[in-house]
Amino acid sequence: MPVKPLNAASRGLFERYEVGEFYDEMFSAPGVPRPHYAKLFQTMAGLQLEQFDERRKIADLSFLLQGITFTVYSDGAGAERLFPFDLIPRIIPYHEWERVERGLAQRVTALNLFLQDVYGPQKILADKRVPRSLIYSCKHFRREMVGLEVPRGIYAHICGIDLIRDSKTGDYLVLEDNVRTPSGVSYVLENRLIMTRTLPEAFQAYGVLPVNHYPTELCRILRSLSPRGGGAAEAVLLTPGIYNSAYFEHSFLAQQMGIELVEGRDLIVDDTVVYMKTIHGLRRVDVIYRRVDDDFLDALVFRSDSLMGVPGLMGAYRAGNVALANAVGNGVADDKAVYAYVPEFIRYYLGEEPILGSVDTYLCGRQKDLGYVLEHLPELVVKAVGESGGYGMLIGPASDKKTVEEFRQKILAEPRNYIAQPLVALSRVPSYDATLDKVGGRHVDLRPYCLFDGDAVTVVPGGLTRVALREGSVVVNSSQGGGSKDTWVLREEGLREED
Amino acid sequence: MNRYHLVHITEFHYDGPVSESYNEVRLRPLTDERQSCLSFRLTTHPPSQAKSYQDAFGNWVHQFNVLKEHRHLKIETDSVVLRLDAPEVDTKTTLEEVDEEQEELHEEFYDYLVDSKYVPHLAELDELISTAEAGSGGNAFAFAKEAARLIHERFQYVPGATHVASSIVDAIQMGAGVCQDFAHLLLGAARKRGIPARYVSGYLVPQRAENPDSALEEVIGGQASHAWAEVYIPECGWMALDPTLGKDVGARHVRIAYGRDYGDVAPVRGLYNGHAGQRLSVDVQLRPDVDVDGHEQLSGTAALPQEEEIVEERPSQPMQQQQ
Repeated sequence: MPVKPLNAASRGLFERYEVGEFYDEMFSAPGVPRPHYAKLFQTMAGLQLEQFDERRKIADLSFLLQGITFTVYSDGAGAERLFPFDLIPRIIPYHEWERVERGLAQRVTALNLFLQDVYGPQKILADKRVPRSLIYSCKHFRREMVGLEVPRGIYAHICGIDLIRDSKTGDYLVLEDNVRTPSGVSYVLENRLIMTRTLPEAFQAYGVLPVNHYPTELCRILRSLSPRGGGAAEAVLLTPGIYNSAYFEHSFLAQQMGIELVEGRDLIVDDTVVYMKTIHGLRRVDVIYRRVDDDFLDALVFRSDSLMGVPGLMGAYRAGNVALANAVGNGVADDKAVYAYVPEFIRYYLGEEPILGSVDTYLCGRQKDLGYVLEHLPELVVKAVGESGGYGMLIGPASDKKTVEEFRQKILAEPRNYIAQPLVALSRVPSYDATLDKVGGRHVDLRPYCLFDGDAVTVVPGGLTRVALREGSVVVNSSQGGGSKDTWVLREEGLREED
Repeated sequence: MNRYHLVHITEFHYDGPVSESYNEVRLRPLTDERQSCLSFRLTTHPPSQAKSYQDAFGNWVHQFNVLKEHRHLKIETDSVVLRLDAPEVDTKTTLEEVDEEQEELHEEFYDYLVDSKYVPHLAELDELISTAEAGSGGNAFAFAKEAARLIHERFQYVPGATHVASSIVDAIQMGAGVCQDFAHLLLGAARKRGIPARYVSGYLVPQRAENPDSALEEVIGGQASHAWAEVYIPECGWMALDPTLGKDVGARHVRIAYGRDYGDVAPVRGLYNGHAGQRLSVDVQLRPDVDVDGHEQLSGTAALPQEEEIVEERPSQPMQQQQ
């Protein structure tokens, strides 16, 4: 691409970059990159802001032309937006990643065992390691799933576990588990593609572990779930439709896996067998990768006003004639109060200590926790237990008195519905701020995508790094003004040269 | 010991053609230490293949679908039930003991203590609760009985006063309701006092005509299903109360299903495709002492082989049907 002549006011990308008080993923001190960032620093520091901006615009255009957008619900307009992409990648050295990967595999295994137990023999409740009242009071605990045997006993086939890095210790901590219908993996794949096109010289300087095997691996797992014998495995992706915020991802994944993208009205159940309506008549469906929430899956059993699902689907599921990924009822493990017990699940089911830490959590439904929370409200982050996507949340230190008081009333009215956590100082990665036209440190989290086939957990190296693009913001959700970055996990040191 | 032959017919007549009808019914009487379901048969017209399972509360559920166009759906169940005599239970547990065990009860019977969709915890019940407590002598079961008596006395049984979606708020406002509301009111009072309570759906076998109370009972038993409640008294177990009748639950009560409230045990629930309006008719015939062979026929239905057909796109919101 043509390089514009530089004017005198131009400056390098990282000039005047402030490392600040947080853990900076790129710099250990002002002007001193960490060893695994050295090569990137060399490549990018030579870029002037204008040059960088040009590349950035090219990347944005690629996203726009490919229609990689999401829908924001809360503004009422239902507007489609680009998920802002930041060109400065997040780089994770192998030795760091290896531990994260083991920790995630352990967690996914334990969460599956928990779901199997809580909808089956309920041993953990009988042993009083988790209060029965806590589980039964979860909004997403599905009594309809009690005693239903799911194909191959797998509940959470796909998990998008959110990690954050604590600035105080530099440790990765689990923030949320997301074992229902986590989204965002399409951005991981697309970010990588666009990154390699936009900044090929930087990418080629490293041995980066690939991510593009995700659709193949997911497809393999989906087909392995087929309850029908004889190798038949018709898998489909069930989407709520074009108005869903993640519709792009649904169509992208279906196309990548070579399976049909269907809506509820394309399927029909007859005598507990699911069929797809095709121009050649009905075709039996064995596996449904469903991106429709539990509530809307089957109007006969769940919300009767739902048009998105397939009446009779739960009957087919119960009869063992169709596999659903993920299983129905997984939301009980996503409940933010149940989150506090996941380390206990790991000890109880695996007899191991958790490899990854989690964030201290106060359950407002517990009397002693409630007292502490009410006393320390302005310092804490408060979350509604059944919500996700950054909705229904209070960030005490960033909120005015009035908002804090509103939350106090909400908590008092429904204590079980809220948890509180200390505000973790998230690590930062240099990111371009278009409003201020400079590169500044911005807070990030990381959502690795884990696939479970019943025996082993496969984690896509890296995952989606979400970044809070507004200066000082700690909310990374796409619905709340977040963006994303490509995430590079480097090959094991020593293997780098072999490539 | 009593043996009953129960025939329960639910019919939906539609104004126009409907199709893709999916239904879930809870109509098979329970089998436990107090009653035994000797045989059960479900038939539908148009014919279908019903599949059965037990839900999280232990109730038998049958699901079936009718895809082809039809204007009339008939669901007929035929069961033979042996009702065993309940053993005498010493009910000396006090309310104080119930209070002391609150935490354990909350853990064990969470579903039966918290508020539910039809049974919100209402301040309007506080007066009834304290009156019942005053008349209970501090005994837990006496409290529940007294609460049932007060509900029976204060609320009027008025057929059609409320509908299937009514919560106790409606019944309290009107001072009237049907058996569903009476049962819900008792659940509300018991739970708010810390006593686990569950909804029971079933049948009440009518008494002979010479009984002075028979007019009310014919309305209840002759028209459709009945509902009452059970409370859990520590050391005693589940104890049944019928606030609609205001009398003890005895050998004439046949149980079908338990739940947190009506929402968990609706006898017939379904949806179909089509714009047509519907008319519902329900007929329950209860015949004591009928001599029937007690062969178990669980989910067997008079089924025809289903032909595969291509079904048109769903034109509109599925219609709901419920009884």
